[in-house]
Parts: sequence; structure tokens; C-alpha cells
Amino acid sequence: MIDPSRQLRSRVFYTLLFIFGALITIYLLAVLSPLILPTLIGILLAYVTKPLLTFLRKKGINKSLSVTIIILLFGLAIFGIGKKIYSLIPSSQQQLVIRVQMQNKIDRMYLELLGKENFKSKGNFVDELFGKQMEPLLASFNDFFSMDKKEAKKFMDYLNSDAFTENERSKILSQYYELRSFVFPKNAIKKEVKTADKSPLPKLPSLIPASKITQFFSELSKWIVMPFVFLFVLLDDGEIKKFFVGIMPNRYFEMSLMVFESVDRAIGKYLRGTILQSSLVGLVIIIGLLLIGFKPSAAFTIGIVAGISNAIPFLGPIIGFGAGILYAMIVEEITPIIPFIGKDAAVLGVVIVVLIAQFLDNTVFQPYVLGKAVNLHPLVVVLGVTGGSIAFGFWGMFLAIPTIVVFRVIISTIYKQMKAYQIIY
Amino acid sequence: MSKAKRLFQDVLWDNKVLKIFAGSKSSVLDVLKSNPMFEDFSNSELKAIAKIAYEREYNPGEYVFLMGQPGAAMFIVFKGEISIQREGENGSEIELTKLKDGETFGELALLDDSPRSATAYVLKPTKLLAIFREDLVNFLEVKPELGGKIVKKLAVITGYRLRMTNDLLIQKQAELEKCREELLEIKND
Repeated sequence: MIDPSRQLRSRVFYTLLFIFGALITIYLLAVLSPLILPTLIGILLAYVTKPLLTFLRKKGINKSLSVTIIILLFGLAIFGIGKKIYSLIPSSQQQLVIRVQMQNKIDRMYLELLGKENFKSKGNFVDELFGKQMEPLLASFNDFFSMDKKEAKKFMDYLNSDAFTENERSKILSQYYELRSFVFPKNAIKKEVKTADKSPLPKLPSLIPASKITQFFSELSKWIVMPFVFLFVLLDDGEIKKFFVGIMPNRYFEMSLMVFESVDRAIGKYLRGTILQSSLVGLVIIIGLLLIGFKPSAAFTIGIVAGISNAIPFLGPIIGFGAGILYAMIVEEITPIIPFIGKDAAVLGVVIVVLIAQFLDNTVFQPYVLGKAVNLHPLVVVLGVTGGSIAFGFWGMFLAIPTIVVFRVIISTIYKQMKAYQIIY
Repeated sequence: MSKAKRLFQDVLWDNKVLKIFAGSKSSVLDVLKSNPMFEDFSNSELKAIAKIAYEREYNPGEYVFLMGQPGAAMFIVFKGEISIQREGENGSEIELTKLKDGETFGELALLDDSPRSATAYVLKPTKLLAIFREDLVNFLEVKPELGGKIVKKLAVITGYRLRMTNDLLIQKQAELEKCREELLEIKND
């Protein structure tokens, strides 16, 4: 028989142990908060990779070899993608050229819309109706893109280098000089004069690289945790589950097994579903952009960016959309597979491609790949994404929805199982 | 497995001298080995099963599971005593059987999560081994041979119990028929 005093002592002991454990956990979470993100990403990667491990093991490959193969594949993928991204990032000089091209395109579109020759001349009815309202917007845009004297010199030096053919050079130069003929709105001119007159504060070159190195190593020390967590979770043979189930009271033993299994299955399904969904969106965008004549490298880059950012609700599609539009604005030549799309219709083409991708995402990919797992209230999504970005920046924004979904799955599963095991009504 | 490796393993596992050095405490492997369900399993297979088995300790008066709860695991009595009970018509508990060291209960939970047909009540301080259904499902995926072997054993046990139930039913029907005839005879007299 159960001794009541022993039972009471046990209850007091376990309650105190739980409170102590909870306090330690809260303290550790607060102190080690920079490690939360790398740990979460490590777990996420392991979850996504688990089916590949199961597949390899089903093929008769033992666990160590399977994990080695996965790590090698991961390494190669990260190296390949990293190299590609690095090669696609424009140098500071190339960025100046892009700035000139973008500024030229947008200013020209603005002037065409308003039927003006330059910012000072008189335009059509659109100018009369909205000109005053639109001018500050354009002014701030020009203010952002305009170059100071130093940058202008750098731009000219780069333009005169061997990086360009004569044809390209004259085209970019004409765009640059055309910008002058538009006559900038006040703000932009002010900025140019201001930056040219004021001599910049002397920088401390010795300190800046040092702080960058320190920053790099401190970031590296945080992210070094990620591969270990990834490996630990991937290699786990049920020990993590055994530990947590082991500390459960006998009364909740079977229930905890069921909760673990259901949560594990639901989270795995959701995360893998999200990745599949994002990949499909990316793929549709890549195919669409190739059809409207984007260069393969640009189509792939924009598709990958749009696919990855698609995991962020609301904001994701805008990022993909923005990347496509920006490229469509600066692109000089397109060779469309679909005949009726010309260079001028590139922006419209991007809009159509992104809309088709979003339509397919909402009507086919999400319902079939993710099911109802992600049916969150829009307000929860908006608050989650905003809160995530405030707390953890980009990664917080990126991981906010998966985290909310995971917590929802945990709570709903516990509730369901507690009812099934007659623990609650 | 190579002959030498098997010999080496057998020597290590079955060597009585080693067991004496290890003390009298029987290991999870020994319990599994002594269980009729796993009698013809190899050492490596038993080791794989031992890896997924949960060891739980219960005090007298505790319930392992209650009738009507969804089943998730099969239990093997490591050490101790368990009473399998069912609620009678008047609400009192009727003991169906008592289980001791090495005996198994709740096997059907390895097949599906249908509600438990009886309650398992702890009579003495008891140590149980539990095998979870989803781990068996995982075996069927990753180690299909071993998973299949366990499922086959479960089918044999279920078949055996079905035959026993049929025999019991036939026996009870015969008894009922006999009673009916006797009652008719009394009535005719």
C-alpha cells in the first residue's frame, strides 16, 4: 500500500525539484540567450534531415556512414551556395553602377508618368494632380541613391577600367549624365553639396578591422554550437526522449510517450512541409523568370531568395517581389521565351510570375503540403513576425511562425492526450 | 555476423563466470531472453530491443494503466507482481490474473491504440520494462527484419489467445447446453 506521509514527502520533493529546475532553466536561458538561435537552427536542420537518414538506413547503410554522407552533402551544399552567393554579391564599385542604373530608371519612369522633361519642367495632368505629393518621395529616393564626390570619383575610375566594353561604358555614362539633366529635387542636391563640403571625420583604421575581427569571432563562437546540436540531434537514438519520459511520474508514462511521438511527428511534418512549400514557390518563380527572359543566374538567385523568404508570412512574398522588380528595372537585355514580353514589360512579367507563384502557394502547395498545421489567425502571424523581428532580428522574424506552430502543436497534443488518458475532463 | 564475432559475443553474454562477477542483478537483456516472446531472438536483436525498452519502477497500489485508456506500450514484468483486473457488474474489481517475473501484458497496444480492456494494478514493489508502439513502427522502417519478427510473434500470441478464447467459449457453451438440458429434465419431471 502507498504510505501517505511518504507520498507527501515525495510530492514536496518533486515540487521543489521542479521549481529549482525551472529557475535554473530560466536563468540559463537568460544568460545563454545568444545561443538559442543557433541551437534552434541546429534542431531544425536535424529535423529536416531525419527522413534522409531513415532513407539511407533503410537502404542498409549503417548509421555512422549515413550521418557522414549527410554531413558531406550538407558541407558541399553550404560551400556551393556560399560560393555562388559570394560571387553574386556586387563589389562596392559595382554597387555604384547599379545605383546609377536604378536611379536613372526610376527617375525616368517618374518623369514619363508625369510627362515631364526634368524635375523643374511642367508635366501632364498627373503632375498637376499628384506631382506635389510625389515629389518628396522622389526627393528622398534620389537622396538615398545619389553619390558624393568620393563615390563619383570611384565610379568614374571603375568605369574607365577594363571591366567594361566601350559600348557598356558609353551606355552607363549616358545614364549617369542623363541623371544630371533631370535636375534633382532639392534634397538630393543638398546632400551632394553637404557631403562634398564637409570633410569627413578622420577614421581610426587600426581599430575598425580589429573590432570586425572580434565581432567575427564572437559570432563564430555562437554559431559553432549549431553543427554540434545538429549532429547531437541527428545521432540521437531516442536518448533525449528516454530522458524526458524517464522523469515523468508513472501516471503520465504512456501519455508522455504519446505526446512525444505526436509532437515529434507533427513538427517534423510541418518543418519539412514548409521547406517543400518554399522550394516549390522558388521553383515556380525560377521557371517563370526564365520564361520571361531573365538570365539563369538572376532567375535562380531571385527564385532562391523568394523561396527562402516565403517562409515569412506576408513579408516573404514582398521580399521576393521586390528582388524581382529591382532586377527587372536595371536589366538591360532580356531574351524572353514567351514572345509578347519585351524589355519594357519585364516589371509586369515579374508581377505576373510572383502572383502566379502566390496563387499556386495558397491554393495548391499550402493545402496539400502543409494541411491545416499552419492555420494561424492573421493577427497572431503579424504579431509573431513583428515580435520575432524585435527580439531576434531577421532570424527571429524567420523563425517566429515555426516557433508559434511548434508551441501550438505541443499544447494541443498535451491537452488531447490528457483527455484521452482521463487525466482531465 | 562472422562466426568469430558470434562466438565472442556468446562467450561474453552466456559465460556464467562473467555473470557471477557482474553480480546477481539480472539485466534487461536477461529478462528479454527469458521471455517466451523473445526466446529465439539473437543477442544483437535483443540488444536493439533493450535499447528502446523503458525501465519503470512502481509502488504497490499504483496503476500501470486503467481500463479504457488508449494503449501505447507493452509491459514485461522485470521483478514484482501485477494484478490484471476488470470492473464487475456491481462496480467491484474482479481479478482476471496475476502476473509475475518475466510475464508480459498489454501486447495488443503494440498493434493499435484501442482502449485497454482491463486495468493493471501493482501488488508488490515492481520493476517493469515497457516497449512503445511507435518504436516498433520505427523498427519496421529502419530494421524491417527485426520489426517483422516482433510483429510475427505478436500475431502468434494473438492467435494463441484467440484459440484459447474459442476453446473457452466452446467449453462454456457445452456447459450452458448441459445446464439447459438438466433444467429441461427437471421441468419435465
